[in-house]
Amino acid sequence: MTRVVVDREVCMSAGVCEMEAPEVFRLDADGVLQVGEPTDLTAVETAVRACPTGALQLVD
Amino acid sequence: MSSPTPDLDTVDLSDRTFWGAPPEQRHAVYDQLRRERPFAFFAEPVIPYIEPGPGYHAVTRYADVEAISCRPALFSSGSGAVSIADMPPDLNEFYGSLISMDDPRHGKIRRIVAKAFTPRVLEDLVGNVQAVADDVVARARRTAEDGDGTIDVVADLAAPIPLRVICDMMGIPDDDRAMVLQQSNVILSGGDPELVQSEEQMVTAFLKAGEELAGLMARLAAERHAHPADDLTTALVSTEVDGERLTRQEIASFFILLLVAGNETTRNAISQGVLALSEHPAERDRWAADPGLTRTAVEEVVRWTSPITWMRRTATQDVELSGQSFPAGSKFLLFYGAANRDPAVFPDPHRFDLARDPNPHVGFGSRGPHFCLGAHLARREIGVAFRAFADQLPDLEVVGPPARLESSFVNGLKRLPARLTRCR
Repeated sequence: MTRVVVDREVCMSAGVCEMEAPEVFRLDADGVLQVGEPTDLTAVETAVRACPTGALQLVD
Repeated sequence: MSSPTPDLDTVDLSDRTFWGAPPEQRHAVYDQLRRERPFAFFAEPVIPYIEPGPGYHAVTRYADVEAISCRPALFSSGSGAVSIADMPPDLNEFYGSLISMDDPRHGKIRRIVAKAFTPRVLEDLVGNVQAVADDVVARARRTAEDGDGTIDVVADLAAPIPLRVICDMMGIPDDDRAMVLQQSNVILSGGDPELVQSEEQMVTAFLKAGEELAGLMARLAAERHAHPADDLTTALVSTEVDGERLTRQEIASFFILLLVAGNETTRNAISQGVLALSEHPAERDRWAADPGLTRTAVEEVVRWTSPITWMRRTATQDVELSGQSFPAGSKFLLFYGAANRDPAVFPDPHRFDLARDPNPHVGFGSRGPHFCLGAHLARREIGVAFRAFADQLPDLEVVGPPARLESSFVNGLKRLPARLTRCR
């Protein structure tokens, strides 16, 4: 099952993923990235690619 | 490119006048450096009162810019990312804020700031970008109608849009805005003789500008602390991460960063985007006819203009890049405009193509912790601005050559004369 892994050391809470795939990524009130089930894989792949710090990875 | 092949031995990237010359010249030099001397070494420019450093390597290949940016532990920002010379650490941090900081402090502060600056928060805050752009465009038309039909693209269109957006976001009172524009100009002037009277005055002018902006911010932060409002300043004074808040000093530094970085970069992307469209009328017509082109067009404008010419990194230990060795302490300037025309990444790189896709430009910096925090705001402003120009100023015509800022750091225009041809 495909899922998203976040490197917490690298994530800068830029929020680009949230713009690309809002159903899956959400920055909570503390600015910490919350990740849901990757429903729309195309949008998630775009978000992973768009991450400016390279903090996101798709793994099977 | 049509420019003759430059003689690299006579080129000096530390010479301010090089940066005031037409961009064809710098791109011809970039192309040759990229091919022949991808880590060309230059002596540092002379700045009064500052001890000259050891010199720097000009990094012009995309792959090397990327390799340096994504390894912040090896290539540090902490000794200065926005100046070639090492600045005293307190000055460096004050003016560079996050830009000239390394982890763990950078990570901590960036997360606090990011919390107040996420795309979602911005969506709410900058719902007025469209209103700002419409108003600026309407004022520009009035200026042309009341006068001889001419406007200055920089002063009348490109400067006021990002300034008003950032000032609205921060909650800056109207009366302070002219000062904000003037002082942020000084900080990013790179010592351009028109903005700073003499080289000796550069350092003092720079310090005074910072003081005035910090003073404004201290006043504003105190006000918002007592009376919270719906703006970014309130978010900055009240946001906590792991129980920590930004200090007054950190807020002032971040404010200067936002003002300066948020104003000047977007302004220069807009003004030089207008220039690029006037030089490529077929592309201008294509964008005007197809709003769907905006997503890729905005990226191409940023790639083409590369508003920040370079950021600096310093090797924290002996390092190797593309098979070459460099000792600890080596300085590297990452030339984004050169990386953005690297034929290894961009097919036909000197072609201005608003539909270019993919377009992995590094106009907002390359991948890494220092990637531009305001990229989403800038993209939105640029997109909205150019749609407003296309729809409301279809008669905008550039009528003279631009006056270029003589700064190696900011790729900027001081003036760009234009005419609204329907005005007379």
